[in-house]
Formats: sequence, structure tokens, C-alpha cells
Amino acid sequence: MKSKKLIIRTLELLFIALWVFPLAWMLITSLKLEEEVITKTFTFWPQNPSLANYIKAFTSTYIVNWMGNSFIVSLFAMLLTLAVDAPIAYAFAKIPFKGRNVLFWLVMGGMMVPFQVLIVPLYLQFNSYGLVNTLAAAYLPRIALPIGIFILKQFYEGIPSDLEEAAFIDGANRARIFFKIIVPLGQSAMATVIILSFINAWNDFLWPLIVINDTIKYTITVGIANFQGTHGTQYSLIMAGATVASIPQILFYIFFRKKIIAGIATSGMKG
Amino acid sequence: MKKRLVLVALVALLASSVLFAQAAAEQKKEGPIEITFWSLFTGGDGEFFDAMVDEFNASQSEIVMKNDMVKFDNYYTKLTTALAAKTAPDVVVVHQGNLLNYVPSGSLLALDSYVSPSMLADFQKAPLDACRFDGKLFSLPFDVHPIVMYYNKDLMAKAGVTKVPQTAQEFIDASLKVKQATGKWGMAIDNTTGVYKAYTLARLFMSMVAQQGGSLLTADAKAPNFNNAYGEKSLKWLQDLVHQYKVNPGELDYDAAMNTFKLGDAAFYFNGVWATGTLEQTAGLNFGAAPLPAIMGGEAAWAGSHTLAIPVQKNQDPKRVEAAITFIDWMTSHGEMWAKAGHIPTRKSVADKSEMKALPYRADYAAAAAFALPTPRTAAWEEIYGTLSDKLEYAVTKNQNPKAALADLEQTVKNIIASY
Amino acid sequence: MIPGNKDTRDGIAFSLPFLVVYIAFMIYPLLSGLYVSFFKWDILSSASFIGLDNYKVLFTDEKFYSSLWHTLQFVLMTTPSLLLVGFLMALAITGKSPLKGLMENVFFFPYIFSMTVVSTLWAWIMQKDWGVLNQVLMMLDKSPVSWLTNENYAMWSVALTTLWWTAGFNMVLFGAGIKQIPKEIYESASIDGATYWQEVRHITIPLVSSTTVLCLILQIIASFNVFGQVYVMTGGGPHGTTRVLVQYIYETGFKYYKMGYSAAMSYILFLIIMLVSVLQYALLGRKENT
Repeated sequence: MKSKKLIIRTLELLFIALWVFPLAWMLITSLKLEEEVITKTFTFWPQNPSLANYIKAFTSTYIVNWMGNSFIVSLFAMLLTLAVDAPIAYAFAKIPFKGRNVLFWLVMGGMMVPFQVLIVPLYLQFNSYGLVNTLAAAYLPRIALPIGIFILKQFYEGIPSDLEEAAFIDGANRARIFFKIIVPLGQSAMATVIILSFINAWNDFLWPLIVINDTIKYTITVGIANFQGTHGTQYSLIMAGATVASIPQILFYIFFRKKIIAGIATSGMKG
Repeated sequence: MKKRLVLVALVALLASSVLFAQAAAEQKKEGPIEITFWSLFTGGDGEFFDAMVDEFNASQSEIVMKNDMVKFDNYYTKLTTALAAKTAPDVVVVHQGNLLNYVPSGSLLALDSYVSPSMLADFQKAPLDACRFDGKLFSLPFDVHPIVMYYNKDLMAKAGVTKVPQTAQEFIDASLKVKQATGKWGMAIDNTTGVYKAYTLARLFMSMVAQQGGSLLTADAKAPNFNNAYGEKSLKWLQDLVHQYKVNPGELDYDAAMNTFKLGDAAFYFNGVWATGTLEQTAGLNFGAAPLPAIMGGEAAWAGSHTLAIPVQKNQDPKRVEAAITFIDWMTSHGEMWAKAGHIPTRKSVADKSEMKALPYRADYAAAAAFALPTPRTAAWEEIYGTLSDKLEYAVTKNQNPKAALADLEQTVKNIIASY
Repeated sequence: MIPGNKDTRDGIAFSLPFLVVYIAFMIYPLLSGLYVSFFKWDILSSASFIGLDNYKVLFTDEKFYSSLWHTLQFVLMTTPSLLLVGFLMALAITGKSPLKGLMENVFFFPYIFSMTVVSTLWAWIMQKDWGVLNQVLMMLDKSPVSWLTNENYAMWSVALTTLWWTAGFNMVLFGAGIKQIPKEIYESASIDGATYWQEVRHITIPLVSSTTVLCLILQIIASFNVFGQVYVMTGGGPHGTTRVLVQYIYETGFKYYKMGYSAAMSYILFLIIMLVSVLQYALLGRKENT
């Protein structure tokens, strides 16, 4: 019995190590000089730990602006997603209106669309609004998030109908019920949607690349992609850029860890 | 209540962010003309290019050039969408080989009436002619960048190779000597896809077919022309280096090939001239550069060319076009600065400048511009080029029978051309 | 059920904000795409109507088939492994291990990183000559492996990266499902002398089946749309053996300027994903009800 436990603990530790190592390696590489990265004699730890790559990333690129832009884009995407997803999820969960099922599947179908097909029509559309090369263009197409609706609907269905009925008898209308009952009760599911849309928008690559022109207005994912060039990939510089680019997400995760996991979990529960 | 406030605040913010963007755009009317530019130069190229733009801006006070950079792989995607919406910047870079994707649709401005005869006369004829379509000039060549050879002098000395190899057989002999004496690779020709496709294979293949008097496509660029003895001999050589003589590593991608040469692990390396800038910054690398040797007998080398073009705008402002031409004139006539990145300048006046003559290596391969191969004139080029690279990669990796490989490739290229 | 029956009015009112956005940024461009798929269009010149020709060409295009096959390979490599690993991780974090808190965080953590960061990082780890993975292999006296440049390994390498990146998400979903199972069921089972794996097989797996369906559908959709990881890590190589359909769609449209053809392929992919999803839902959903 004891030995079995020991094996399991060892296995668990091994997996933890496997999952942590790549990120550690990113950090370690970023502290090396390029000569030490592409070299004939491999060394694990940096022989002359140096912040040169970070200094280069900060001084010779707009990395601070890029992070700011990504933050604005993700923030708006997340807030607007919530604003449009929550009401319709409530309608899907609790209002038995005509055509509800058809509409629901139409919305879910959106998840299956390969984004590439939308690029050119979207670009021409945004151009006609005069929105090309604005941050608004980067987040607007990201706010219709079908998976968010799915998660919220799943959660709202679990809220007992008695609560609603009681409120109706007290003379409340649906808007009031939504804001007074559904929204407060659904906070954990909303947290999930917030996180998913934040991550989604933060990680978006192709669309912001195409719709934003000024280097200074790039989002971080687009910006650091430019570190790769025809002169051979500078791995340690890229790793430094990647590390910096990930800091906000890491902080976000550390602060909202509990909510994130609890939130995603709700969508895994039975409705 | 709180939620509603948040919503209102959000909408207000959204609206204001749009308004600000517009206000910012309108503010720019005062003072010097600001024109915009998209470049695809990253890494070392990008640094030299940015320095040039800075110097241009400092050299006069009428025009301010604003330069934005896009990574090479995605550059054309972005350019095309912007051209479709007529929102492209005032000046753009287009590779000479890609011009045909933009000229027929009228996306680029014909420059004949804007460029002075004296400026035109200063351009070298071949790269300038490559920018003409139906007699009209659609861009001006900024550089020519042929594929050249780099060789490691230390490795050659160690192996007792006294003469830089020229022919197919000499390369094999020298490489075997290097391998025997030092245990290093003779050649480092990249032959698999990494960050980039195995374009080097396509470039060498195209060059070697032409060196025997053939051409990749027929003169009208309507049919493949490589499924013959010329093609076979070229492909066979590329395969034998890897499989028969084992002097070139297999499964070698672009980055790895460059690093292999940088570390002194290979004696001979082929890449575009843009590698010079990086190689000369590599500590401890004692190398030489030369035009692509006449491996198959004749002189010919694949070459690309960055050209500067002016997109057609919804309301073309003649003042901005004029400013754009001034910029292009300045950039091309300061080609010695661009040559630092390795590229060969296109203005006759640049070649005589003392700064140009002071640069090492460049003079060694400047002659290559004379036998640079123009890109075949077909809108299908991009797809042919990519497919050629993929299929040659397959043929070299698998040591496929050259006859079978070329027959298959010929059929594929025919289909591609027919689909445009 | 609710008095003052204004269901239709309310239903529309609550759906409206989303629908406006959805129609503007999804339905409209999607229909434009459909329209374009009947044209030969290079984005810049005026389009010429060619009817169903793009769809006809597609069925004879060798590259379309090979790209679809590579996508399918990726789906087959990642879907089962991601479900399995996610489930095993969920078992670990809902069990009695003192490490469960740590594991929950560590396994989920990669999910928050962007595709670009994850792919570049793993491309570096798996780099043939200087990557740490081969360095470790060489220390163990094994010969180095061309993880990304050999056709036998390249797709697996991308799949492995995806596993590391997203398994944690499935873990959280499964974990929630497992936590919902009443403790009494397990207690009575262990009184009957059931072993741990018997419990997992006869209690846990059947009772998380709705989570499994959810994970499966999400996973399949994500895997069919794979592009970024492949593009960054292998560029579709070696010699096109990892070129997935979305990459081909992207290249055809934006590199080769065949927008109409690109749109037609997108629609076929869309149809395939929809068909697979509906089939799954029908098959697995029914099984669950019986």
C-alpha cells in the first residue's frame, strides 16, 4: 500500500515538473545572451545572466504601448461580451419564446466558422465605418462569443424558477428580474465568460495584424511576432518578449485564480 | 443600477475612442507633410532601414515619413486587404516578383509622369526594366538581392582547399576534403521547412537550370520548362550532396542552416545577400563572399528585388505623390546605407560613392547583379514558387528518382498555371 | 408558467443586443463569404461569376484532400489524448493527494498563455540542434530527433504542444463534473469492496458523461480549426506534411489571391465541422438519455 502511494506521488511530481519546465525554460533562455543560446557547448543555466534581452525589448520596440493596447482591447472585449451575452443567455435559459431553439443552434453554429473566411468582408466593412487602424476594430468582432452564451445559459438554467415566479407575483418585470436576481446569482459563470473573452481577445493574432496599421498601435501578440526575421531567429530575445508579454496574464491569473477555475467548472456541471 | 452605469460609461468610452482616433487623424494637416510607409524589413534589415528613414527625416523639413513594420509572412495579406479598401499608405515595398499581383488590377500608380528623366537615367537598366509592365513604370527598384555563396576561410585552410570551388564536381571534392580533415559539413543548403519554406532549394534549382541554358518556365511564363536533362542534373546534384556524398545535412531548415555556418560547422553556404549583415557581426567567423558560382557551367543566379511603389488612393493628393517620389529618390540614391544590410544598390551614382567602396564583401558579389534572373512574369508565381520549394524538399529528403519527381512537379505547375 | 405572457416580446428584447452584434460581425461577413465563393476574385480586381466551379475544382484538388487529411490527423491525435489526460488530471485534483492544489494550478497555467508564445516556446524547446529536448536526449546517449522537421514526428510534436497547452481546461471541466457526484455513491461502492479503478469505471465515467460530451464537442471544433500552432512551429512542413486545411485556406486566399476558392473551401470545412458536431450530439446525447 505504502509503495503504491509512493509511486503515485512520484508520478504526480513528474507531471508537475513536466508542466512547469517549459515555462522555466522560457525564463532561463531569456536571461542568456544569444551567443550562449546558439552554441556548440550546451549549458543549462545562463553562464552570464543578463537582462540585455529585456533591455532591448523595452528600448528598441514599443512593447509598453503594445501591452497597453492589448489591455484596452481585452478589457473592452470582455465587458462588451458580457453585456451582450448575458441577456441572450437568460432568454435562452428562461424565456420560452417562439423560435428559441432554432436561434440557439444558429448562435452555436457560429463557433464552427473558420475565422479566415470572415477577414476580407469584415475588413471592407470596418473600412466603410472608418474604423480601420483603431483599437475598436480589434475588439468589436470579438464580442459575439457563442461559448460564453453556452456557459451562461447552462448556469442560468440551474437557477430555480420559483425565485423568478415570486418576483413576478410581486410585480417585477423581466428586466428587473434579470438585474436583481439572475445577474447577482450568476456571478461565477460571468467570471468565466470574462476570463474566456479576455484570454480570447488577448491572444488574437491575425485580425489585429490586418486591421491595425501603426506599429505603435499593435497588440502585444502582433508586436512580438515581428521579433522573428530573415536573419535567423533570435531565440533569447523572443523568449524575453514572450515573458514580458505574458506578465499581465500571469498577474490576472494569480489574482483571479479561484474565480477562473470555479467559473469554468460551472460549465462542466449538468444544467 | 451600478451595472447600468457601467454600461453607459462603456458606450461613452467606446464612442470617444472612435472620435479621438478621428480627431487625431485630422490634426495632422498643419506643418510638414506626413506620409506613411509600410515595410516588411525585420531583424537586421529593419534596423538599417529605420536608420535611413530617420536620416531622411532629419535631412529636410518638408516631409515627415512615418514607417510601420510588418513581419514578412503577413505583409502581403495586410497590403492586399488595404489596397482593396484603398487605405494603403503613401509608399509601399513590393518585391519585383509580386508586382504582377497588383499591377493588372490598377492598384499601383503608374509613375512615368512623376519621375524626372535624370532620375530614371541614374537607375541600372535591368532592375528598372523589371518594374515596367506594358511599357509603363509601376515602381522603382530599391535593391537587387541575388543568391550568393559564402565560404568559411578557416575551414578551407584546415582542409587544404586552396581554391574556392566553382563547378558541381569541385564542390563535391572540396566538401569531401573538408569533411575528412575537419569532420565538419562541406555545405549547408537548407532543405526543409522551418520558419520559412526550403526556398533555397527552389532558388538554386532555378539558377542551375538557367546556368545550363534552360529556364524554369517557358519565355511566355505559360508552361513549365524544367522537366528535362537540365532539371535532372540540377536536382540530382542537390540530392547527392545529402545522400550519396553526405556532405550536406538532411532535415536542415533555414535558421539551422544559417546557424550551422555561423558556428563554423560548414564550409560553403548559399543564401541571399541579406545574410552578409548578420554574418559579419558574428564573432570569430572568418568568411568570404562571392557571386553564385557557375555550378552547372554558365552564369545565372536567382535574385529578388525590393521595389518601392505608390498605391492608388481614393483621392490621390498630388502633393503627397510628389513627397513620396522625393522619398523614393532619397532612399534609392542613398543605397550605400542600405548596402550595409547586404543588398546591392540600384543607382549608378551609388556605386561610385566612397562609402560604398569602403564596405567589405559587397564589392565581391556586386557582379552577381549582372546575371540576376528576373522572376517569371506570371500572377501564379507565388504559388509556383511555394509548390516548387515543397516538392523539391520532398525530392531531396526522400532521394526520390529525379525523373519521377520532375514529371510530377511539371504536372502540378501546369495545373497551377491553368487555375489563374 | 409565468403570468402576463410577454415571452415573445421579452425573448426578442433580451436577444437583441447580441443579435445586432452577431449579424454585423458574423452573419453578414459569412454571407458575403458565401457570395464570394461563387466568384473568381483576386480581392483587387472586379470579380467574375463562375457558379459552382470553385466547389467543383475543390473535389479534384490533391492539396485540398491532403490538407483535410492532415487536419483530421491532428483531430485524431489531440481529441482522445486531451480528453484522457484532462480526465486523469481531474481525478488527481479531486482525489486525496496532498499535491492536488498545486496540481490544479500548474496544469491549468499554460492555458492562459497566447498561441504565439506557446508555439514559439515549444518550437525552441524542440529545435533540432540547440533545443533543450535533444540536448537532454544526447546526455542520455540517445541520438537527437528532428521533432519538427521529420514527417513522422512533426504533427505529433504539434499535438504534444497542444496537449500541454490546453489539457488543463478539460481538467477543470471534468473536475467540476466529478465534484458533483454525491459522495454516498462512492462510499457504498467501497463498502461493497470495489477497487479504485472499478469505482472510476462504473461510477465516475458514466456520471460525468455530459461533461465528456461538452469537452468532446468543444475539442473537435477547436482541433478542426487548428492553424496557429502548426503555422508557427512547422510552417506546414516538412514538405507540406503538416499543412492543415485552415492554413491552405489562408494561403490560397491571401498568398495566392484566390479569394473565391478560399471561401469555397472555408464553407466545406464549416459544413464538415457542423456535420461532425451534430452527429456527435445526436449519438452521444441519445446514449446519455437511455
